[in-house]
Amino acid sequence: MPPPPEALRRGPFRAGTFRSPLHEPRTTVVLGRWLGAAVLVCFLTGLAGHLLQDPPAWLSGVLPARPVDGYRFTQGLHVVSGIAAIPLTGAKLWTVYPRLFEWPPARSVLHALERLGIAVLVAALLLELFTGLLNTLQWYPWPFPFRQTHFWLGWLATGGLLVHLAAKAPLIARNWRRPQASVPGRRAFLASVTAAVGAVTLTTAGQTVPWLRGLDLLAPRRPDIGSQGLPVNRTAAQAGTVTVPADWRLRVDGPQPYTLDLDDLARLPQHDAVLPIACVEGWSASARWTGVRLADLLALAGAPTGTAVRVTSLEADGPYRVMEMPAQYVDDPLTLLALRVNGETLNADHGFPARIIAPNRPGVLQTKWVARIEVVR
Amino acid sequence: MTARLRAAALVAGLAMTGYGLFGLLDDPYITAPVDILVWAVGGLVLHDGLWVPLLCLVGAYAARGPVLRGWLVVAAAVTAVGLPAVLRADDDHGNPSVLPLPYLRNWLLVLAATAVLALLLGLVRRRRNPPVSRPERREDPS
Repeated sequence: MPPPPEALRRGPFRAGTFRSPLHEPRTTVVLGRWLGAAVLVCFLTGLAGHLLQDPPAWLSGVLPARPVDGYRFTQGLHVVSGIAAIPLTGAKLWTVYPRLFEWPPARSVLHALERLGIAVLVAALLLELFTGLLNTLQWYPWPFPFRQTHFWLGWLATGGLLVHLAAKAPLIARNWRRPQASVPGRRAFLASVTAAVGAVTLTTAGQTVPWLRGLDLLAPRRPDIGSQGLPVNRTAAQAGTVTVPADWRLRVDGPQPYTLDLDDLARLPQHDAVLPIACVEGWSASARWTGVRLADLLALAGAPTGTAVRVTSLEADGPYRVMEMPAQYVDDPLTLLALRVNGETLNADHGFPARIIAPNRPGVLQTKWVARIEVVR
Repeated sequence: MTARLRAAALVAGLAMTGYGLFGLLDDPYITAPVDILVWAVGGLVLHDGLWVPLLCLVGAYAARGPVLRGWLVVAAAVTAVGLPAVLRADDDHGNPSVLPLPYLRNWLLVLAATAVLALLLGLVRRRRNPPVSRPERREDPS
């Protein structure tokens, strides 16, 4: 490749434009380790959340109902690591920024492919962080669907990361350990990035971590703000279920179908369960729910243990109006058809007259305004 | 061993990238994958073409000293995470538990609190290493 024409060696293409000594591999490797860890945690927790919310048929029967806080933990961690990845991505990309203008732009076909791969990785990662952050605010300014796009971009970003790691492995290995001589300013820069990660984490993680609630200044939720002291993702007004029909009856369809009104339900044995309501958007809150065990209702209908059910809500439409619940949740003694929360009768926003609450399940599957429970097998 | 690990990462990474691409193109809910491409490339261009150069210029000409630079890194991160909430503070779609906090006030509060911490850090540094008079030195840009 001939030397570049002088006319093109301007601005960022001019040698010596970037004079900070921190545009060097060791700083990049240190930041890359943190960012790589954050991306991998994000990917694995996102995948776990996806599988719990939308399980393929072969998996739905074996997803565990324990630990009770499993979904809360993985989705809280998903959003915490995603937010931490924002300053890490910025810092990491800044350290390698001069490489964008390296000359020649491609030394070989392999080098061109590697650079193309980096473009895919960076574009997917930036869009992933952007869409994820805005989803926590329920803000969707883009023309494509959030959930599917975010999921597939996660595969692109993580796959791109692995390819990038493979391509850069020798360089990473050379700079993995601390060198004898330090570059001036590196320690201060890494300390700044650490402080930035700390600041964004401490001011947002309180939406799910109880002991950080007092510092929850920038998160889109606070776990104690909402009707009856709990956040909701979909209000009764949004779902069109503010008023429940006067003739509401719970219908349970099984070998011996029956219906119950609210008074009948209240006369059945009541149980307490302290369970979190947890959202993929990264917020969660624990509450004491009181109601009838789902397993008891199924037993009354003559359904044997190991039965899966379909639960239908009163809401007219919505992607989670009908919810399938595999047998392991139905049989769990903590799974309730809840009538009360923290000692109060459920209000409309929390699913009056009755809602499902089960351990280790996404909030969207904790069906509110339950109208019908039917045995599916 | 290392070579094998490297090859495994490459193969797994390519497979995952391929799976992601296939999913984006095949998903029944994603009717216009070109929109995603436009947003992805747009984000890349805005980040690398506008945001980072701006950052480099500020770092080169306006931000002197490690403490001020450090605080600017923190302020940029807090702003990236908090600004969307500030912009959307009143838009909860009728759900009062979404965005329930005074985000503009909180954002300024976090900026001020971190600025005070940075100031204290700067004062401590100055007491430990009193500035010696030395010829004016241009800070390294970016």
